[in-house]
Amino acid sequence: MNRRTVTASLTVLGLLAATGCSASNGSTAEGEDYPANGKPVEMIVAFAPGGAVDTAARLVQPVLEEELGTNVEVINAPGAGGQIGYTQIANAAPDGYTIGATGSPSVVVSPLDPSRGASYTREDFQPLARQVVDPAVIAVQPDSPYQSLEELLEAAKENPESMTATTTGQQGGEHFALAQIAETADASFAPVHFSEGASQATTAFLGKHVDVLVANVSDVTDLVAQDKARVLGVMGEERAEALPEVPTFTEEGYEIVSATARGYSAPAGLPEPVAEKLEAALQAAIEDPEVVQKMEDLGLETSYLGAEEYEQFWAQQETDYKEVLPMVQADE
Amino acid sequence: MDVLNDLMGGFATALTWQNLLFAFIGCLLGTMIGVLPGIGPVAGVALLIPLTLNMDATGSIIMLCAIFYGTTYGGTITSVLLNTPGEAASAVTTFDGYAMTKLGRAGAALTIAAVGSFVGGSIATVGLVAAAKPLGELGLLVGPPEFFALVTVGITLLVALAGRSIVRALISGSLGLLIAMVGIDPVAGAPRFTFGSERLLDGVSFVAVIVGVFGLSEILAYRAGKTPDAIHAPNLRSLLPNRTEWRRSAPAMARGTGIGFGLGLIPGMTGSVSSLLSYGAERKFSRYRSELGHGAVEGVAGPETANNAHANGALIPLFTLGIPASPTIAVLMGAFLQQGLTPGPTLFAENSEIAWAIIASLFIGNVLLIILNVPLVGLWTSILKVPYPILAALILLFMVIGAYTIHFTVFDVFVMIAFGVLGLAMRHLDIPLAPMVLTLVLGPLMERSLRESLEISQGSFEVFYTRPITATLLVIALVIVCSPLLKLRKPKVLANDDPES
Repeated sequence: MNRRTVTASLTVLGLLAATGCSASNGSTAEGEDYPANGKPVEMIVAFAPGGAVDTAARLVQPVLEEELGTNVEVINAPGAGGQIGYTQIANAAPDGYTIGATGSPSVVVSPLDPSRGASYTREDFQPLARQVVDPAVIAVQPDSPYQSLEELLEAAKENPESMTATTTGQQGGEHFALAQIAETADASFAPVHFSEGASQATTAFLGKHVDVLVANVSDVTDLVAQDKARVLGVMGEERAEALPEVPTFTEEGYEIVSATARGYSAPAGLPEPVAEKLEAALQAAIEDPEVVQKMEDLGLETSYLGAEEYEQFWAQQETDYKEVLPMVQADE
Repeated sequence: MDVLNDLMGGFATALTWQNLLFAFIGCLLGTMIGVLPGIGPVAGVALLIPLTLNMDATGSIIMLCAIFYGTTYGGTITSVLLNTPGEAASAVTTFDGYAMTKLGRAGAALTIAAVGSFVGGSIATVGLVAAAKPLGELGLLVGPPEFFALVTVGITLLVALAGRSIVRALISGSLGLLIAMVGIDPVAGAPRFTFGSERLLDGVSFVAVIVGVFGLSEILAYRAGKTPDAIHAPNLRSLLPNRTEWRRSAPAMARGTGIGFGLGLIPGMTGSVSSLLSYGAERKFSRYRSELGHGAVEGVAGPETANNAHANGALIPLFTLGIPASPTIAVLMGAFLQQGLTPGPTLFAENSEIAWAIIASLFIGNVLLIILNVPLVGLWTSILKVPYPILAALILLFMVIGAYTIHFTVFDVFVMIAFGVLGLAMRHLDIPLAPMVLTLVLGPLMERSLRESLEISQGSFEVFYTRPITATLLVIALVIVCSPLLKLRKPKVLANDDPES
């Protein structure tokens, strides 16, 4: 398989070299004429259509088309928790005609665990822009005796693993959040992994089969409105706009920040002018008032970061996750 | 009767000519897309979402629901006529649907399927209108342990699907479980049987497997020089089911509605589980169970009804709790969100007019589906008039396209071909295919819910006998497993071809 990928990418590179040579005869510096007239830009989404990542990409797409003056095609390459799509992005030619949506923790974590056999690392991506940050939250049943984060974490500290808590799968964002809580606050919960995703986890929580719901802000805003969950803490840098009454972990004295973040990246090695054009276009698209409004309707706060800052953010997440990685790996 | 008033208001909104047109176009597009193997409702709805983005909220949701119905029915058409299921849920329909085609009853099978879909869908929608809230809460009672017990009951229906030899059925069932194991371990996250290939991390694509095992192996078997099965293109008179077929379908449809609607309420169940269990139930309880597998109309009526009842039942958790209960519903939910509508109880509070219009359009969609498809049955069945060599080539083409479009990779085409060869081997060894499909669908659900249950109980097996629903279901499973040993209610017709007697 690997060899085939290599051959395929070599072929692609070869073809590009051939076409690139003939084209660059006329033009000046490399990438100056990007995007070439009528040549579409492919945006790879490593998740299935209809999901949050896909929805965000499709909202950005029309504005991006306008800014770049060419078609932008959203291509879904779902599978293996994003790994299939990420491999495609990383292996694409760095010419600006292939970009992709990258989300953490999936893109950050998958190369860290050697058993996943991911063929890419962080260095294979060139971050372009961050669009949203969706902080993790911890919630209990509305009739739970725990009224504050401290009460809950103290109880978990006294009786470790006495309460069950949802995750969306081993090494998912929620699992990392639980590991961070265990490390910082010494409070441990028994994780129940719902690999099918947030909706299965929420269902089990609503049916009172699991005690604690660990999810993202966007997952719980509707539950809070219906009075079906009591959110005790947000793992964001600041309070979430959608949940103004809920304190952050930092406010309560626990230094924990954990969030799902989504942005856009290209394969590493874009020519400078191409990168600049893409970054500018993405910034305009992400900050477009209509796009921001629609994201907000989905419960997602737009939190734009430029290429450099997104790269730093990514590196920081990698450091954070590496630290707790042994705690979330399957104990065989 | 507030509900009735609201519903009437919904009809008023949904019955504008634009919305009717949207529903009609949706049904038509959906049916055409559904006819392509590999593109099931999930992919079909997802592909056509961009089409609806610029429409107003009501119109676009109406159209998407119609597309959803259309693709579901489209999958049935190829299952019956070409033995190539378009999607997982209609795989079961191939067993008896294609057998009916061989008997020249293709038209009757398609009409029954359309009527069954209509019946199942409409009754489930009535349930949605009448008692959405309590039914939604009922679905929540099913936690991972109950889910596990329910799936166990499903797996035990393997006994019913066994036919002549229980050993052969077990071989087939184990094969299915083995195939279902491939991919990332759903709980621990470790790759299993992937041989280092990233493509296999997600497991083997179910649609590629069934298209290969059923469709391709059928064609390969023909090439192997066996006496070709004569396929009769039905004449005009046999397009419609006869009176006996209608009478025999009714109880199957009733059972199908019950099974589909009940399972649809449970988040995490997929439509294919409903259609499989409905088929299993027919094998176990139908008066004509001995004919199943040889072109019995119950084998089409039951699963097709269950499938649609499930699809509509699954909207209840979406509307009452905001939980997408199946993959298709998740895609539909994505479309809701893109339109700025949040599905869930708030939808009725904040956008009640749209909510009721959507519900009304579910009824309209069901009616349109039957109006559109029954007259078209003649057209579809005329495919069978194409000479077999040309038809086989066309089917092959469709299967390759279908396998390719699952993830847009050639890898799935090879998976399909490999499983075609496996299917051929199984046919030659006289190993039934149905048990394999059953375990392939249920295996992952069973594994997942078992491990979730044990995580909840932190390793104690107590969860399985201290929870009343779980315990009851497991006892039922035990009874089903033991029933052939006890020779409970063994009908005379079955005794003839039973090696045990």
